[in-house]
Amino acid sequence: MAELLTLTLKVNGEEKTFQAPAHLSLLRLLRDNLYWEVKCGCEEGDCGTCTVYLDGRAVKSCVTLAHACAGHEVWTVKGLGYADDLTAKLQKAFVECGSIQCGFCTPGMIVAAKHYLDHDGRADRKAIREAIAGNLCRCTGYQKIVDAIYNVACELSNNDLPHNSKLKTQNSRLGLSGSPLGGVAHE
Amino acid sequence: MKNFNYVKAPDVRGALAFLDREGDKACVVAGGTNVMVDIRAGKMNDLTLVGISDIAALRGIQEEDGKICVGALTTISELAASTLLAKQAPALYMAAKVFADAVTRNSATIGGNIAYASPAADTAPALLALKADVLIESEGGKRRVPIAEFFTGVNKTLLQAGELITALEFIPNPYSAFFKIGLRNAMAISVATAACAVKLAANGVIEDCAVALGSVAPKPLRAYEAEKILIGRKLDDDTVKAALEAVGAAISPIDDTRATGEYRREVAPVLVKRALLKASGICVHESCKDGEGRIQHG
Ligand SMILES: Cc1cc2nc3c(=O)[nH]c(=O)nc-3n(C[C@H](O)[C@H](O)[C@H](O)COP(=O)(O)OP(=O)(O)OC[C@H]3O[C@@H](n4cnc5c(N)ncnc54)[C@H](O)[C@@H]3O)c2cc1C
Ligand code: FES
Ligand code: FES
Ligand code: FES
Ligand code: FES
Repeated sequence: MAELLTLTLKVNGEEKTFQAPAHLSLLRLLRDNLYWEVKCGCEEGDCGTCTVYLDGRAVKSCVTLAHACAGHEVWTVKGLGYADDLTAKLQKAFVECGSIQCGFCTPGMIVAAKHYLDHDGRADRKAIREAIAGNLCRCTGYQKIVDAIYNVACELSNNDLPHNSKLKTQNSRLGLSGSPLGGVAHE
Repeated sequence: MKNFNYVKAPDVRGALAFLDREGDKACVVAGGTNVMVDIRAGKMNDLTLVGISDIAALRGIQEEDGKICVGALTTISELAASTLLAKQAPALYMAAKVFADAVTRNSATIGGNIAYASPAADTAPALLALKADVLIESEGGKRRVPIAEFFTGVNKTLLQAGELITALEFIPNPYSAFFKIGLRNAMAISVATAACAVKLAANGVIEDCAVALGSVAPKPLRAYEAEKILIGRKLDDDTVKAALEAVGAAISPIDDTRATGEYRREVAPVLVKRALLKASGICVHESCKDGEGRIQHG
């Protein structure tokens, strides 16, 4: 058995300490510790079902080294669904638009969609398709997933406040503004 | 049995100390998008993973003294969002825009892309066309290697045990462009790529140029003979034709799961032509108006 090393990170807002082998992926760390909402599809970075929010950016947890996340902040779709209005809106829209069939891709899709809308994403179907290009769905044919994200994007842009500034407040409340493994995808 | 150790490097100095101590037992982990896949596939074992992702000094794009310096940990997302690169180094910007998918781009770094040295590394032809230098540090000191010399084969580079890539540096060139063809419009490893950079005189004569390709040989490469044909001439049909013939002679594409060598031989010159025209500002194609370096499917 490979030696276990200790790491401490925040998951869904709570500080957690785990023991894990040096090479463990963030996906395995989360699933081994009962965060089953994070799905394991390919474990090669291809399917996107394992997508989580790491310091305010969507990343594929299967290609993220768990120990590299020590001292950082991870949110799963479940934690975001409770703590973040935008994610809750996306979840609702996915249900309303019939964007969920077997549901396996949904947790990753929603986190990828949150990233898009958090980073200046607009109600633009082509751009939405690009934003979820790394998230595969075997069932829906994507159309209804794009519809759901598009609807939320429209809702945000119809608000009096530019949706951006509203989300930023949201993010700073959640402490989702840092940037450890990489940067925020906009300037 | 997988058997790894892990150390987190707090800064460049700490990273170099770990790399020096571990020698060829060290494996740098930046974004992890190559390393994690290889660990799972059992392609590596018995190594110390040196996590560098917290080293802020290795991240970011700076313009200084007429040069652009891109830190090794800069993510592909950051490249694709850089207005500086969009204006001053479109080849690299275009490559970043069509690299993997939006989520993978948040993790993947430019240093990891270059160090991994896949023949299909998308930033490689762009950096070759921009004649970038790879900035390298070790306990022993610093060195700078022209990227055209850096790649030595499939997943092979001049990087020695104990060395860390700290940055990629190049002189800005607004007259540069990159094109990629993959199997689909997104998240596709390249079937072939090309990047070109040109310096045009007022009368349209090419004073200098660089032509680079990816996925058509064991390593990303420059087509020097094609460059020689182009320099001193105008970009007319005959010149382009002669240059593209030289491109054909420079490449040695193979069959793989993504495409046949024959197909790559067909498309590589087309990509070079488009990159040349786009770099020279005389691109006529509708499809590249949005500045994306991708040949669209469908
Ligand atoms: C789903 C998916 C899609 C992909 N699509 C593309 C694509 O379209 N185009 C493309 O080019 N690539 C693609 N890749 C490959 C990969 O994402 C890139 O090569 C990426 O740039 C690697 O960067 P990283 O930071 O994740 O590297 P890591 O995996 O952390 O490291 C890669 C290698 O580089 C070494 N290394 C990293 N940083 C340094 C440094 N500073 N100094 C010295 N050595 C270093 C590591 O030791 C390792 O050998 C894809 C990968 C996945 C999983
Ligand atoms: S499980 Fe991570 S991308 Fe498929
Ligand atoms: S319902 Fe998901 S694969 Fe058929
Ligand atoms: S709903 Fe079944 S994979 Fe997307
Ligand atoms: S050269 Fe740009 S698409 Fe034509």
